[in-house]
Amino acid sequence: MVNYGGDEVSALVVDIGSSSVRAGYAGDDTPKAIISSYYGYKANTPDADVQMGEAEPQGDASTEPAKPKNDAKLYLGQHGPSIWREGMEIGNPVRDGTIFDYNPIPALISHALVDVMRSNPSEHPILVTEPAWNTPADRERMAEIMFEEFQVPAFYIANTGVLNAFAAGKGSALVIDVGHSMASITPVVDGFVLRKGLVYSALPKLVHAHARHILVGSTQTRRGIDLYPHQLIANKSPVEPSAPPRFTLREDRMPGTTDSWKTWYENREVDEWIQSVAGVLDQGWNEQAAAARPPRQYEFPTGYNMYFGPERYQVGEQFFYHSPQLVASNPNLPKNIPTLLSESLRACDPDLRQVLMGNVVLTGGGSLFAGFADRLETELLRNFPHVKIHAPGNPIERRYGGWLGGSILASLGTFHQLWISKEEWQEHGRAIVGQRCK
Amino acid sequence: MAISASDIRSALSLPVPSTPGPSQPSQPALRRPQIQPAGKPANQSTKKPEGISRELYALIGPSAPSLAAHLAKPRLKQKPNLGGSGKVKWEWRPFKNDARGDSLQLSHWMKVTSDPEAEYPFVKYNVQSAPFTYSQDEYTRFLEDKEWTKEETDYLFNIVNEYDSRWYVVYDRYEYPEGPARTLEDLKDRYYSVCRKLIRNRPWAGDESSKIQFISSYQFDKEREVTRKGYIASLETRTAAEIAEEEALFIELKRLEQNERRFRKDRDELLRTLLGVDSGLPDVIGEEDGPVGLVGETGTSGFKKKKGVKGGVGIGDESPMTPSVISLGPPVPRRPQSAKSVAQDAIHCIVRTDPPASSTPVQKTTHVPAHLRSFKIPLPKTAIAPKVTQALTELGVQHARLVMPTRENCMQIESLLDAATALVETKKVVDRVEQEIRVLRVRLGMRGSEGLEGGGEDDADKEADKGRGTPMEIDEGKEEEGRAQSVASTKSARGRKQSRRSISVSSIDTSASMSTRAGTKRQKRS
Ligand SMILES: Nc1ncnc2c1ncn2[C@@H]1O[C@H](COP(=O)(O)OP(=O)(O)OP(=O)(O)O)[C@@H](O)[C@H]1O
Ligand SMILES: [Mg+2]
Repeated sequence: MVNYGGDEVSALVVDIGSSSVRAGYAGDDTPKAIISSYYGYKANTPDADVQMGEAEPQGDASTEPAKPKNDAKLYLGQHGPSIWREGMEIGNPVRDGTIFDYNPIPALISHALVDVMRSNPSEHPILVTEPAWNTPADRERMAEIMFEEFQVPAFYIANTGVLNAFAAGKGSALVIDVGHSMASITPVVDGFVLRKGLVYSALPKLVHAHARHILVGSTQTRRGIDLYPHQLIANKSPVEPSAPPRFTLREDRMPGTTDSWKTWYENREVDEWIQSVAGVLDQGWNEQAAAARPPRQYEFPTGYNMYFGPERYQVGEQFFYHSPQLVASNPNLPKNIPTLLSESLRACDPDLRQVLMGNVVLTGGGSLFAGFADRLETELLRNFPHVKIHAPGNPIERRYGGWLGGSILASLGTFHQLWISKEEWQEHGRAIVGQRCK
Repeated sequence: MAISASDIRSALSLPVPSTPGPSQPSQPALRRPQIQPAGKPANQSTKKPEGISRELYALIGPSAPSLAAHLAKPRLKQKPNLGGSGKVKWEWRPFKNDARGDSLQLSHWMKVTSDPEAEYPFVKYNVQSAPFTYSQDEYTRFLEDKEWTKEETDYLFNIVNEYDSRWYVVYDRYEYPEGPARTLEDLKDRYYSVCRKLIRNRPWAGDESSKIQFISSYQFDKEREVTRKGYIASLETRTAAEIAEEEALFIELKRLEQNERRFRKDRDELLRTLLGVDSGLPDVIGEEDGPVGLVGETGTSGFKKKKGVKGGVGIGDESPMTPSVISLGPPVPRRPQSAKSVAQDAIHCIVRTDPPASSTPVQKTTHVPAHLRSFKIPLPKTAIAPKVTQALTELGVQHARLVMPTRENCMQIESLLDAATALVETKKVVDRVEQEIRVLRVRLGMRGSEGLEGGGEDDADKEADKGRGTPMEIDEGKEEEGRAQSVASTKSARGRKQSRRSISVSSIDTSASMSTRAGTKRQKRS
């Protein structure tokens, strides 16, 4: 037991991302509860303070977030946002990787820990993750929620960059995390984030918006695709590929469907399409190579189906290359991966660069694009002769690397001296969080 | 997890089996009289057959296919017995972590038998390094620096201590309000210089050398570090063209070096050939392409080589006329053979050969590796090889491969080859001379002068006679060789005729054959 350095004290690990909240026991290799970070809510007074304009081109609910009123009823988890309810709005507490709305957070955590895992948080030390750019105020707020609302005996907040490095078994690494809303590059040395080298951008949102643009926009060969979810479709009949879909909408539901729910389900349809169809060319953009890949069929809930050819590689290309027209048309374009990389490395000590390049850790759901790891290697090898990328082949491990690192950390015998105990919290107050969790 | 056969049966609503499985030993009441197959003892059916795992047997019961028992004959590896038999009881037990300064009680699973008062095993990893501190007095006396205030120095020492001298992290987190911008080297320089000053000016318990050693462990050369970093940075900012150029230059350099090495080698060789020992060069430069398999112990080969050099020098001294002939093996004195061993050799057909005579013009090797005799049969010069082969095939001799390469046969084939070579060379000479004669004759005829004609014709006739005579001799030789070949293959009668033949052949042109032999040998080595 001592040999492995592990000593399980039945701690809980909670990792809050913009797509999902992951929770489980430290020492496990997968989270026990994975629930959507999106939640449904109904304001008690209809037409509350929600003023959602037309869906933005970026089209994400969290870009123009709406906050539910404090007394709103929340619909969480499996039976939350995905069930159609009249007048239900959709919210997400996470924006740009950090929590901007703490109101639904206790409910979400409680849903994961109590309703799904059936555990009692007041009996377990709890480790929570945070992105590297979290503010001190935010982490103190999280500590407060844990100690005051959940009455946890001990608490610790750890950085996802560091945890991802730990999950890969490394103390020093360059962690490339491509998530649902943010792509970040975090240099980690001896278990500490080098804040000067930390860079991030909302690149996944751009990729998502691009995919949506491809689907919704009409081309010479097809009309724009309707992204209705199955909840709104009464019936449909099978059609030939690329033929106009034959379906009837549930007109009864249309008036009660809110704009935020519409945005949410459309984004989900786009996400699903991305996950099963989109990819990245591993050797850089090349029309012929893209055309040479076999097209892939995809069927939408409306019954419309077609074969997607080269355009499915255009989607992933957005991670690595932005055309000059795009750059010119959008001054606030999120930085792409090569730009982020060079920025991050420029901020690092020259001695460190080779070390980091030998320990690149690729993580996050967005990196699951087919061909992403190969393309990244191609890009890196262009500037560095010796590159070693650690990219877990197991999608669970890749996507939930942050949680896994937390699970490892919180089950180490030497870690237990670092917990902030309730006693310390009461004695020192908020300041202890910054002192202990460096 | 153990599912008994009865569970399965009840789940599938099957009748109770005639024989209970081994997992229901606690239900003896269920036992009914059983019908046993003839010749099978009653207790056999309840015993688990070999080769079926207990869990499987519990499920399928006695109706186990008898085949499985046979098929599973090769036993699996025994399950390892991991320490101690019997169950170990664990309990969820709170523990005290002495590395913590508060009263937090965490719990973990422990063996019941373990000591509840034992210290938490991970406490010992909680080591704190003793930080360097200094008093105000010390600071004013030794540590003043116009670049640094005391407050900033304090801050630096705090942060270095906080991050356990992880300098990259220290530099990353270093944020002194209103202080000047500091590089990592600035921080290190300040920290280490303060440490050095403190050590130097404090009373030291040990001896002077240990103090110097301790101080040197805090050495930091800022200038050097900065230059080094600059180099690394400049390496990274190279353009692709620069990298390519650098690479090309590197290759060019390697090529030049190689050229020079070859040139020097050639020069040395030349010097050695011309001046021999006077050149002052060691005669042989060990080269990678030299022979590897040395006779005898390789361990002493270096030593032997040296000895070879010495021997070479000695012989060179003795015969300054032939400096190019550098003997490589010291003449090994032959052990005088006792009469007994001679007799024994005779019985066992052992032939002792002398090491290669030092007179042979060998340039490099000192040792002749062990080899098969048949490998050492010299090949004819490439220029005339086809002709020699042709001559031999006319005789029906396959010289490329000996069926029975005994010592005698090898000697014979060698002399045969020599003879054939000599023959061919002689033939060539003859042809040339004949040709010349013919040309001269034609010229003579063209001159058409009477007085000179007779004598010239006489001479020509003589020459022609000689030319005619040679083919006859060739015929004779051929005959002899044919016989010799049959001798070689039958291995019955050998001797006089062969020696006669070799004499006759060598009488044609001994020097020619000698030179040919030497030539073939050299050829073979290269
Ligand atoms: N196979 C796949 N191919 C492409 N994208 C995928 C795949 N699987 C998951 N994704 C994307 O990964 C994203 C979720 O990643 P992840 O769980 O790492 O995000 P997160 O940690 O919740 O978000 P963030 O780190 O930005 O806060 C989703 O946007 C999803 O579309
Ligand atoms: Mg994430």
